[in-house]
Amino acid sequence: MPKSGGPRQARRGVLKDPFRQAMGGGLFRQFFEASRQAMLLVDGSGEIRHANRRAEMLFGYGPGDLRERLAETLFPGQAMAAHLTASEHETDVELYLELVGLRGDRSQFPAGVHVLSVATALGRASVLSITDITDQQRASFLLQLGLEALGSADRDREALLGHLIRAQEEERDRIAAAIHDDTIQLLTGSNLALQQLRLRLRDPEHVVILDRLAGTLSASMARLRQLIFDLRPTIARNGTITAALQDYLEQMRVDTGIEYRFEDSRTLIAPIRTSMLIYRTAREALLNVRKHAHAEHVQVELRDVADGSLVRIVDDGVGYSPADIEERPGHLGLLLMRERARAAGGWCRVESMPGGGTTVEFWVPVDRPRASGDGKRDRAA
Amino acid sequence: VVKSIFGPQTLQILEVLAGVSALPAAQIDLVASAWRRASDLERAEAWALLWRAGTAAEGYWVMGAASAARQAAKDAARKLGRTDWAFWAAAWDAAGAVAAGDLADREYQILTGPLATVMPALKRVSIGAQLPGLAARVPAQRDAEIRQAAGGGHGHA
Repeated sequence: MPKSGGPRQARRGVLKDPFRQAMGGGLFRQFFEASRQAMLLVDGSGEIRHANRRAEMLFGYGPGDLRERLAETLFPGQAMAAHLTASEHETDVELYLELVGLRGDRSQFPAGVHVLSVATALGRASVLSITDITDQQRASFLLQLGLEALGSADRDREALLGHLIRAQEEERDRIAAAIHDDTIQLLTGSNLALQQLRLRLRDPEHVVILDRLAGTLSASMARLRQLIFDLRPTIARNGTITAALQDYLEQMRVDTGIEYRFEDSRTLIAPIRTSMLIYRTAREALLNVRKHAHAEHVQVELRDVADGSLVRIVDDGVGYSPADIEERPGHLGLLLMRERARAAGGWCRVESMPGGGTTVEFWVPVDRPRASGDGKRDRAA
Repeated sequence: VVKSIFGPQTLQILEVLAGVSALPAAQIDLVASAWRRASDLERAEAWALLWRAGTAAEGYWVMGAASAARQAAKDAARKLGRTDWAFWAAAWDAAGAVAAGDLADREYQILTGPLATVMPALKRVSIGAQLPGLAARVPAQRDAEIRQAAGGGHGHA
């Protein structure tokens, strides 16, 4: 009987050397004994025929104490025999099991067990290679915690960013409305008063001074109107991006000499919010062209792609090294472009290299954002 | 745990990352050249379809995989003195397509094609079938994997 139930005397003679026919006999024994892994040789009935010193130490047994025990007693309640039986019929397959090992002092540990079927003097048997995976499981647990924390932080960041973008638009609207309804009305009134005053003036010098004042007032009003446009472009009123972007490009050409080619072949009508997002993101890209690219030419292209709008902005400027720009903090413009697109359920790619210009490409769906993460599919193709 | 990072295709993504990091300069040039020869519009369409088709959780994995591959490609290129961004754009595309899992063959081919010129394991053998390293799964199995991986709380709300 085995040690869990008495020795099996009848088989003792045959089992003197279980390595005799296993993969070259002596060589296999040497490998078995010298292995840095804890190893057990288990026969078809689940009885341990040999345990190397590492295995004895791992399970807290003295030399020879594991021999003739049932392997199952080292992994109680875990259907070890079924696994061993299965492995016997599959000589080319190595099983890997994660089990709970039981030491001689009754303490437990998580064990990674590789099971390999081999030929012995008794027929097929199993070699169990066992590792204490306590540290691995601890590391895995910590990694899982870290990932969960990262995922949670990412979701918070996205929510915050979405809120920030909405708040920014609302604040822009509020300021634009205040300028339009209050400041510009006051300035318009002042301008009319100046014109009336001008009619009463007789001294030519006073007329010149008044004209200068009126000119300054008109310039201020023009700048405020431009500010209103920047804060709340025409798309906020009529839903088209084309005119707003063309106006911006033309103004950029006048100010900087950067020539442009503009093409908008879209037929899908985007809701105001999406249009604003497209406009803001494109403008951010064009602002970078204007401020940093030293470009001679910029190409802006908008087209319908897969129920969404694709925007490509390509300049022939000096470009930049991603290593210098992307890996340093503070480049909020690039980050905002990506995050805006993501928040709208789309994507954004910004690529550049020194001397090679910059390409900004983004796509946003025009009707609905992507589904929430429940695994459901809704393929649009 | 590993699947929480890039989703059910995490092991394949790790293969892509390792492969990209080990490419020699000549192959980096080949990939960049292949990427530049391909159609911008088809690529954008493929990304749009990939993006539309997936859930938020999948989008998270796709972006994670694409970003990691882009970074690995940038690092590999920099070590070898290569500056053409088409190479890391190709890595971005390929990793995104692999992470998406069941992307239609046409889009998969468009997005992985340039990198597959030097990493044949990325190629799908035929419609609906892939090489062992990129084994296709039946939809039910895939959905189960997605639910399991998303169960850790990594999908976007």
